[in-house]
Amino acid sequence: MTQLKNTKPINLLLSLIYLAVVMALATELSVAFSVLLGFLCVWNLAITLTNKKKPHTILANILAGLCLLFLLYDVGLGDTVTLFVAMLILSSLFKLLQARNKKHYQTIVLLSFFSLSTVYLFSQSLLSTLLVSVLYILNFAALMLIESTHKIKLAVKQSTKMLALALPIAVFLVIFLPKLPAFWQLPGPKLAKTGLSESVNPFDIAKLSRSDELVFRAKFSNTNKPNAPYYWRAIIHDQFDGSTWLVSDFSKQQQRSQIADAPNAPLLSYSIIAEPSSQPWLYGLEQAYSNSENIKATQQGLLIRKRYLNNTINYAVTSANFSADALNISSRNQNLQVDNSALNNVQTRDLAYELYKTTNSDKVFFNKLSTYFLKQGFSYTLTPDPMTSSSAIDEFMFNKKRGFCGHYASAAAMMFRTVGIPARVVSGYLGGELNEQDNYLSIYQYDAHAWVEVYIENEGWQIFDATAVVSPERLTGSLSQIDSLSGEFTNNLNFSLLRFNQIPGFNWLRLNLENLDYTWTNWVLGFDQQKQSSLLKKLFGANQLWKIALFSLLVLISIFLSYFIYLNWPKNTKQNQHVMSHYFLEITTWCDKHGLKAKANITPLHYLSLAANEFPKKAAYFAEFASLYSKIRYKEDYFTSQDKKHGRDLVKLIKTNS
Amino acid sequence: MHDTINDIIDDLSSVIYGKNEQIKLALTCLFSQGHLLIEDLPGMGKTTLSHALASVLGLSYQRVQFTSDLLPSDILGTSIFNATEHSFAFHKGPIFSQVVLADEINRAGPKTQSALLEAMEEKQVSMDGDIYPLPSPFFVIATQNPLHQSGTYPLPESQLDRFMMRVSLGFPSKDAEKKLILGHNNRDYKLLPTRINATELVNIQNEIKKTTLSDPVIDYIIELVTYTRTSGIFSNPLSPRASIALGKAGQAWAYIEGRDFVTPDDIQMIFKYVTAHRLGIDVNNSELYIEQLLNAVTVPL
Repeated sequence: MTQLKNTKPINLLLSLIYLAVVMALATELSVAFSVLLGFLCVWNLAITLTNKKKPHTILANILAGLCLLFLLYDVGLGDTVTLFVAMLILSSLFKLLQARNKKHYQTIVLLSFFSLSTVYLFSQSLLSTLLVSVLYILNFAALMLIESTHKIKLAVKQSTKMLALALPIAVFLVIFLPKLPAFWQLPGPKLAKTGLSESVNPFDIAKLSRSDELVFRAKFSNTNKPNAPYYWRAIIHDQFDGSTWLVSDFSKQQQRSQIADAPNAPLLSYSIIAEPSSQPWLYGLEQAYSNSENIKATQQGLLIRKRYLNNTINYAVTSANFSADALNISSRNQNLQVDNSALNNVQTRDLAYELYKTTNSDKVFFNKLSTYFLKQGFSYTLTPDPMTSSSAIDEFMFNKKRGFCGHYASAAAMMFRTVGIPARVVSGYLGGELNEQDNYLSIYQYDAHAWVEVYIENEGWQIFDATAVVSPERLTGSLSQIDSLSGEFTNNLNFSLLRFNQIPGFNWLRLNLENLDYTWTNWVLGFDQQKQSSLLKKLFGANQLWKIALFSLLVLISIFLSYFIYLNWPKNTKQNQHVMSHYFLEITTWCDKHGLKAKANITPLHYLSLAANEFPKKAAYFAEFASLYSKIRYKEDYFTSQDKKHGRDLVKLIKTNS
Repeated sequence: MHDTINDIIDDLSSVIYGKNEQIKLALTCLFSQGHLLIEDLPGMGKTTLSHALASVLGLSYQRVQFTSDLLPSDILGTSIFNATEHSFAFHKGPIFSQVVLADEINRAGPKTQSALLEAMEEKQVSMDGDIYPLPSPFFVIATQNPLHQSGTYPLPESQLDRFMMRVSLGFPSKDAEKKLILGHNNRDYKLLPTRINATELVNIQNEIKKTTLSDPVIDYIIELVTYTRTSGIFSNPLSPRASIALGKAGQAWAYIEGRDFVTPDDIQMIFKYVTAHRLGIDVNNSELYIEQLLNAVTVPL
């Protein structure tokens, strides 16, 4: 077995690569397991840096077995993707811990090409792309170190060069190679840590934990941008069990069986780039419709994913106003259902009756209820007190009077239903952060919202948002921009750039990073069949597929042809000569001219020493050239551009100032 | 390590005057795990050199004087019947030591010569179906009288090929001879200090294998070897074994010179000693022939 000379730098590089991979995947694995993997990386690093011996094979194998058991216990067999990723990384790390000879290291480098690509399974952002690219460079450098005796710096430089050379080919393939549908998919999407849920129960939540994770982006065409507020609908909850709002079986069945037709008079059209999510719900304004092949539009105007895909999807949406058509009996009944919640919340029920009694008109009750929320001293908070009694709505309406969207929506919808007006709770997102430059909205998890839709006879569904009445500034922008809540808001966020919103420099940086990410998502991740064909059409004119085929074919043929010609070009010995030999020949011609008589076929170094004797003024230059020559030609040190310059300078010095 | 090698060279030259190059060549041969053939007239210091080498390097040493009636078993050892145990026991011969001086090898008959050369090549002795490995490192210094002397059996070419180098100590300079006559500062080779031990020697041998043998140098070796095969001047052109020996000896020479890379100058330096005996050139004529050869072959740049 071949022993390697420079195991130290190889070990160092590989340990660092795995450390980076483990850190990048830390959010996907459990804390304990991430720590275990991290420990293995650090162990490798420590062994390398302190020149200690690697652990004995038996010990390492026993540890590997134990870790595998822990892995099976910790990750379980349910999430196969994470399981296999964790297994791959674990086994590579143990292999590294035992690696002794060249073949071992080759295996590990091969494995790490897979290991570091797994980062992409979980995140395809610009940042992870940069990380993975850097890791690729390091891994190629490690491969180079196995086959050579280079220093790390040189190996990294070489591998960067190599990958940079491969980049144009990659770009060419991405742009021109036909995009085929995926041959296989990952089993099961990743679980969302935050996001909407099919059931809404605001009363047992003490603290709304919100994240600044991006949910989707919406891009309007420049001409028809609607006015705020934007109510991005995602889920309709039309079943109330006294405390929790759910999606009723009735609407679930409706969503399954009925598919909406394209609206006659769409008011708006826009496109949405949705981030990966474990839930089928997608986002749209009012009565949304999309004819995208992966999306189902329901009659309620919701958009639903047909397939779970673990990547971002890009779809075009059109929105129309809600129709004013009368509700059918069954959906009317569903939207009036209150069960025993009215009995439990007697005070609220009586209040609803009282407000309705004086008007007897749905429209007037709608306005009266708004005024009630405005006048009765309600306030908006992200940290409400939990209300767990069976009469939670009563407690909220008459005692606490503090809550977030869920509380208001829940209470309002119940009151509408009590007096016989069909109403439903809708959850989705409100607003979004507008990017002025490119005219798109970014909607984050903290923009999640719940509101009520009320059916008014002859007018159709209307949005009733008590939160908007209590805290009107919530309507126009993103939650992040409301000053009065900023303290509460930032306390709720984990550490992120958003925390430093108030500092202008940071905000500028954040917005620009965000813009960069948008461009990346839109143009690289979102470069699908449609975008490809439109780009190709732009490049080659419409409907001229043969031109594209011809172009690609020509490029490929010319690449292969030039390579073939390059390989078979008659070898010119002069050209093949090493630069240093070339310099040496220049020196010999100069020496010949100036009368140095030397025997034929003496060695270069011998010749240089003769020349040094002949021209004592320049002896130092000859000596220096001789040492440079033997360093490059005989010691086979790497020929740097500095060496080249040095050689050229020496030749110049020898040839001039005589 | 290089200081140690300089010390060794200094020690050896305090015993053998004015033969610095020959001393370095002997070390080159030893360091590149080859065997050395010294061809010289009697009384030129062959024995002194080999004995001094063994003691400086801390190796066990045996001298075998070859005569026309020497038998293979006199070198290798014999099985002797042990009457009390009713069995044969192998008694190792003088070849079982790290440095063996085979004095006047061409005085012995062919059978004995080939017994020695076989052991040199195999690094083991097979006797009565048993295999006895020779010690490591194992180094044979054979001396040879010039062939025109009476009572010699010349070694065949195939066996000469087994020796990595052939050197000739030659007559000392007048100054050196004066010192010898006066017995001036004459240190006994038996009193030389041991500079390194066998393990360190093996380490040096391994270090030498890592000396860079660059492409231009390898090309040069190939050019040289090819010239002997194609020019038609030489009746015994060089074999690949000679090319390998040139590379190894070049590495060892560069190492002794304190470099970690070989230059064409190193190859030119050792070329005569590695190839002359293989080409069938007499010691006295070698200078001329080799010079011609080196002048005829272009050094790759």
